Amino acid sequence: MNAGTARPGGTASYFLIESKGNWAGPDAGAFLLDGAALAEAGHRVRVFLVEDGVFSAVGTGTPGIERLAAAGAEILVDDFSAAQRALGGPDLSPHARLAGMDVAAAALTEEGCRGVWH
Amino acid sequence: MAGGMERRVWDLLLILTAAPHSGDVVTSALRLSQAVLDKGGSVRVWACGYATMMTQDTFGDTKPPNTRDPGGHYPSPSAIVRRMIADGRGRFGWIACTACTEERGATHHIPQVRHRSPLRLATTVVGARQTLYLGGA
Repeated sequence: MNAGTARPGGTASYFLIESKGNWAGPDAGAFLLDGAALAEAGHRVRVFLVEDGVFSAVGTGTPGIERLAAAGAEILVDDFSAAQRALGGPDLSPHARLAGMDVAAAALTEEGCRGVWH
Repeated sequence: MAGGMERRVWDLLLILTAAPHSGDVVTSALRLSQAVLDKGGSVRVWACGYATMMTQDTFGDTKPPNTRDPGGHYPSPSAIVRRMIADGRGRFGWIACTACTEERGATHHIPQVRHRSPLRLATTVVGARQTLYLGGA
C-alpha cells in the first residue's frame, strides 16, 4: 500500500462508482458485494450509483444495498441520473441518499481515496 | 543528481474506452470533469476506441437540427471539448489515442486535442493522482 493511502488501523478509503444496472449480466451486483466485503473488512466505503446503477437502490427489496448499509458503507445516488429516470428520493432505499457529481469530485480528489468505476 | 525535471501531476485521469453511443458514459465523464474543474482541480481525459470520434473537426460547432426544438442550440461533442479546454485554462486536457484514431480513420481532431501513442498510457496514468477507467469496448 502506498503510504499516502494508509488510514488508521491499516484501512483504506474507497469510492466505488457503479454505472451498470442490476440486469446488466450474470455478474450484476457483484461490484456492490465487493464493496460490502471491503466495508465488512473495516475499510471506509462510499458507493456512488450513477447512470443505470441508480436502479440498484430503488425500493426496499435491495439486498446489495442492505448489506452495504449493514457493513457501514455510505450509499449515494447521482441526482441527475435519478431524475433522468424519473426517480426521486421517495423511490429509493432508505439507506441511500441523493447526491450531486460535486460529491464524487470531492471524494475522488481526497488524498488517498481509491476510486473505481464499474 | 540535482535539478531533475518536475512532472506535472493531474488530479484526475479518465480513461474513456466506452463508445459514446453505448449509454450515458460520456455525459457522466464530462459532468465529473466539470465538477472537478469547478472545485479548482485538474482533469485529463484519455479517449480510446470510439471515444476518439468525439473530437473530429468535421462535426462543426453544432449537432444537426432537432426538429422538435428547431430554435434550440445543441453543441457538438468537439465544441464541448474545445470549450472545456479553453475555459479550463490549462486544467483540462483531452488526449486521443493514436492507435484507436488511426484504426477508425478518425484523424481530423480539433487542434486542441493532444495525440498520444498507447505506449504512453502508463506514463499518463503515473502523471495523475487518481485514475478511473470508464470501460467497455
